[in-house]
Amino acid sequence: MATVRTFRDQFDWPLFVTTCAIAVLGVVNLYSATSASGALTEAYLQQIYWLTLGAGVATLVAAIDYRHYERNAWIIYGGGIALLLLVFLLGTSIRGSTRWINLGGFSLQPSETAKICLIIALAKYLHHDPKTEGRTLKDLVIPGLILALPMGLILLQPDLGTGLLCMFVFGTIMVLTKLKIRSLVTLALAFVFSAPLAWNYALHDYQKNRVRAFWAQLMGEADDRIIRTIGWHSHQSQVAIGSGGFWGKGFMQGTQNQFRFLPDQHSDFPFAVWAEEQGFVGTLLLIGLYAFLVVWGLRIASTAKDRFGAVTAVGVTALIFWQAVINLGMVSGVLPVVGVTLPLFSYGGSSVLTLMIGIGLLMNVSMRRFSF
Amino acid sequence: MQLSPRREVGEFRKRYKWMALTAIVVFSLLIARLAQLQLVQHDEWARIARENITKTISLPATRGILRDARGRIIAENRPSYVVYLTPQLLTPEDVERVAELMNLDETERAALQRRLDEIPAHRRTHQIEMFGDIDREQLAALETHRTDLPGVDVVPKPARTYPYGHLGAHAVGYLNEVSAEDLERLGADAGYRAGDVIGRMGVEKGWEAYLRGHRGYRRVLVDARGRRQREARGFGIAHEEVEPPTPGHDLVLTLDMELMTSIERAFAGHPSGSVVVVDVNSGRIRALYSKPSYNVNSLVAGMAQADYAALRDDPFRPLIDKTIYESYFPGSTFKPFSALAALDQPGFDPHQRVECIGYYQIGTDRKRCTSAHGEVDMRHALVQSCNTYFYVLAERVGLEPINTWARRFGFGERTGVGINSEARGFLATREWYTDHFGRFRVGDTMNTAIGQGNTRATLLQLALSYGALANGGTLYRPQLIESIREADGTLVEELPPQVARRIAIPEEHAQIIASGLFGAVNEQSGTAYEARVVGGTVVASGKTGTAEIQRGSTRRDLDPRRAWYFQRSHAWFAGYAPASDPEVAIVVLVEHGGGGGRAAAPIALRVLQDYLGERTSASASSPAASPARSPAPRAPSPRTTSASTSEGR
Repeated sequence: MATVRTFRDQFDWPLFVTTCAIAVLGVVNLYSATSASGALTEAYLQQIYWLTLGAGVATLVAAIDYRHYERNAWIIYGGGIALLLLVFLLGTSIRGSTRWINLGGFSLQPSETAKICLIIALAKYLHHDPKTEGRTLKDLVIPGLILALPMGLILLQPDLGTGLLCMFVFGTIMVLTKLKIRSLVTLALAFVFSAPLAWNYALHDYQKNRVRAFWAQLMGEADDRIIRTIGWHSHQSQVAIGSGGFWGKGFMQGTQNQFRFLPDQHSDFPFAVWAEEQGFVGTLLLIGLYAFLVVWGLRIASTAKDRFGAVTAVGVTALIFWQAVINLGMVSGVLPVVGVTLPLFSYGGSSVLTLMIGIGLLMNVSMRRFSF
Repeated sequence: MQLSPRREVGEFRKRYKWMALTAIVVFSLLIARLAQLQLVQHDEWARIARENITKTISLPATRGILRDARGRIIAENRPSYVVYLTPQLLTPEDVERVAELMNLDETERAALQRRLDEIPAHRRTHQIEMFGDIDREQLAALETHRTDLPGVDVVPKPARTYPYGHLGAHAVGYLNEVSAEDLERLGADAGYRAGDVIGRMGVEKGWEAYLRGHRGYRRVLVDARGRRQREARGFGIAHEEVEPPTPGHDLVLTLDMELMTSIERAFAGHPSGSVVVVDVNSGRIRALYSKPSYNVNSLVAGMAQADYAALRDDPFRPLIDKTIYESYFPGSTFKPFSALAALDQPGFDPHQRVECIGYYQIGTDRKRCTSAHGEVDMRHALVQSCNTYFYVLAERVGLEPINTWARRFGFGERTGVGINSEARGFLATREWYTDHFGRFRVGDTMNTAIGQGNTRATLLQLALSYGALANGGTLYRPQLIESIREADGTLVEELPPQVARRIAIPEEHAQIIASGLFGAVNEQSGTAYEARVVGGTVVASGKTGTAEIQRGSTRRDLDPRRAWYFQRSHAWFAGYAPASDPEVAIVVLVEHGGGGGRAAAPIALRVLQDYLGERTSASASSPAASPARSPAPRAPSPRTTSASTSEGR
C-alpha cells in the first residue's frame, strides 16, 4: 500500500497531462490533415499505435531507476552510434537522403534515437566532471567530441535539421552547466563566422535554395517564380496559417489542407493544418502546451537529485524546445525550411518513440527527486 | 564517484530561471508572429487561400450576327477551338509539353514564354487565352493529354467569319484581338481582356457595344494540381458560381449584298473607285462599295506583316474607305446645286441662253469648256455639261449663294453615318481664298460652280444630296442599321429614318433640274446617253462629272511607267432612278477613270438596271408599266448640233 501511495504522490501529473494533450490534439489534427490524401488516410491510426507503443516504452523507461542509465550510459551511446553506422550499410534512401533502416515493416530513423543517446552520454560525462566553477572552451573538448561523432554521422546522411538540433541541445546543456559567458560568446561568434563556410562547402543546393526562398519571402521580395518553386512549402504554409484567422476554418474545413496545397502536411507541416482549421485560438492553446512542457521540464531538472538527472532533464527539455521552435518558426515563415518535426504532434514512428522515451526520462527524473 | 547532489544541483538554479525566461520569450515571439499572420494579415492570406482553390473559367459571349436588308448573312460565327492557359497551374515542363503538342517552332515558343512571363500575379489564377483557332491536329493532341495538363483548357469559341469576304469590307469592318494599348486606353471597366476580339472598322467597330455581348464565367473549385473538385463541402465558397454569357445583339443592315455583288461585277474593268447607293425616301444605305478591297477574313486571323505592308503600300489604297473617309472634287455632279442657287436669285431666267464657244475668256484667263456647245440655256447646260454656262452663271450669282445652297444639301458637314472616320468635305469661302491665295477672284467662283475649285465632298454626301434632289428636298441622315435584334430574332429596336433637313425648292426650279438630269441620260446630246444599258427597262436621271486631279497631288514614289494613270481625271456619275418616281440615288466614282460619261455612267446605269429592273419586270404584270415611266418634263428636241455626247477631254 505504501508503494502505491508513494507512486501516486510521486507521479508527475502535469507532465503526463500535457504530453497526453499534445498527443491527442496531434491525432485529431492528423485525421484531418491526411483525410484528403488517399494513401495516408490511415495515418492517424498508425499514430495511435505508435503513441500506445511509446507510452509502454515510456513507462518502462520511467520505471527503471535512471541511475542504471547513468551506469550504462556509454553502452547506450555506443548503441546509438552503431545504429547510425548501420544506416550507411542498410539504409534506404528517400528523397536524396539516407535516414532510415528497414526493420521488417517498420522504418527506424536512428538519427532520432541518437538524440536521446547523446543526451545520456553528455549527462554521464558531466555527472563525473568535477568542475563546479565556470567552464572555459578547453573544458568543452571532450563533450564536443561526444557531440561531434553522432552529429557528424547525421550530417552525412544528410539530415541538416537533426544535426543542428543536436548542436542546439548540446549548447543548451553547456549553458546550463556554467559555461562561461565569454566562452559562450566565442562559440556563438564561431558559429556565425562558420556560416559562410558552411554555405559554400557544406550545404546542398536544395538546402541553399530553401534559405534563399526563406530570405526572399521574409523580405517580401518573393516573386511568383520563387513561390511556385523553392518557396512553395513555406508560402502555402503561411497561407494556411494566415487564412485561419482568429477562430479557424473549422475541423476538416481547411481549404489549404483539404485541397492539398500543404506538402508534408502530416510530418513537417501539421501545425499549418492546425492553425488553418483551429485559428489563433488553437495556435495559442498548442503553443501554450509546449511552453508549459518546457518550463515544467526545466522545473524537473531544477529539482533533480543529481547532475545526471538534471542534465538529462534539461537535455530532453531542450530537445522538445528546439524542435518545437524550429518547426513553428519554419512553418510560420521566420526560419528556413528544415525537416524538423513538431514534437509529439507530427506523424512518425521514430519521432514519437524518441520523444516518448524522452518524456519517460523526464518522468523518471521527476519521480525520483525525493528518493535516494 | 559519490556525489553531494543537492549542493551541486543548486548551483544551476539561477540558470534554470534564465532558461525558462528565455523559453517563454521565444514562444511569445512565435505567438506574436502567428498573431501577425492570423490576425493582422488575415484578410490578405484568406484572399490568397480563396484564389488557390478557385479557378475562373471564362465563358465567351457570342457576338451578334450581321445580316443585310434581305436577311443574307454578312458576318457570323463559326465554331473554333481556342487554348486557355492558367499560369498558376503550369510547371515549366508543362509549358514545354504544350509547346510540343501544339507543334510550335522556336520563335513561337519564345513568344509563348514571353507572354506567360508578362502576366501579372493577380491574373495568374485566371485562364488566359493563348492560342486562337487551333487546327485539328493540335486539337487532337491537346485533347489526348487533357488529364495530365490541368492548366490547359481547350474551349470551343466562335470565330468570326464573313461570307462575302472582301465585298463591303470597309463598311462591314472586321475584328481582331485587342492589343495591350487598347486595353490600356479602354480601361478595366470596359471589360476587355487579353485575347478578346474587338471591332476594327465599319459596323463591327461602330456598333461594337451592341455586338459584343457580355462574357460569362464559371468559378470552380480546384485542388493544388488544378483538378476539379466536384463535392461541394462549404469551404465558404459557393461550389460552382455560374454567370452565363449574354450574347450580343444581331444587327440588320440596310445594305443589299446582291446589289453590292452587282456593283462588283459592273466595276470589273476599273482598278479603283467607289459606289454609294441610298434609298431616296429613307436615307437607308443600300450599298457602300470601295475598290480595291481586302478579305476581312484574313484580318481576323491576323495578317502577316508582309501582306499588310502590301495592302498599305498599294497605290490604289485598298485600306481607304473611299465612300466615307475620302473626299473628292465633285466635278460637274455639283452643277445642279449651282443651278439651284442661281434659280433662287430674283430675276434669274433659266431660259436665257449663253453662247458657248468652247471656252470663256475672263481677263487674261481663258477658262475651258468641254466643247463648243453653242447657245445653251440652263437645262441644256445640265444635259451637255456645259461649263461656259456655269461660268456666266457664277459671275452673276457669286460664291456665297452657291455655298449656301450646297450647305443646305449637306456639303461641308458630316452626315453622321456613325462608322469609320467620316470626312467633312469642304466648301471654300471668300475668306478662305483670301487667306490662302492672298485674294479672291471671280475665277474661284466659276471653278466652284462647276464643282472644281476647292469644293470637296464624299460619295455619301453626294448620294444623299442627289436623294434630296430626287425626293423634292428632303435631306435624310444616312442609315446603315435597320434594326437591332436579340439572338433569337426578337426585335429590340427598329431604327426609323431620320430627316436631316427639309430644303424648300420651288416646284418650277425642281422641274428644270429634274429635266436636265433626265436629259443627260436620256437625250441624244446628254453626256451619259451612250452609257445607257442596251435593252434596259429602268429609266434613270443623273449627271456625269469629270474631276481634274490637283497637280502635285499624285504620289512621288510611284513607278514613272505607272504614274501616267494617276494623272488621269476621276470619272463621276451621280443620279437616281426610276426617273419618274425615284427610289434610289447612286453615286459612282471611278478613280482616274477619265470621262464620267464613258467610265462612271455605264457602271451606274448597269447597277440601277440590275437592281431595279428585276423588280420592275417582276411587278410588271401590265406591259404598260415600263413605257409609263417616261418622265413628266418632256425634253425639247436638241437644237444644238455641236453637242458632244461625252464631256471627256
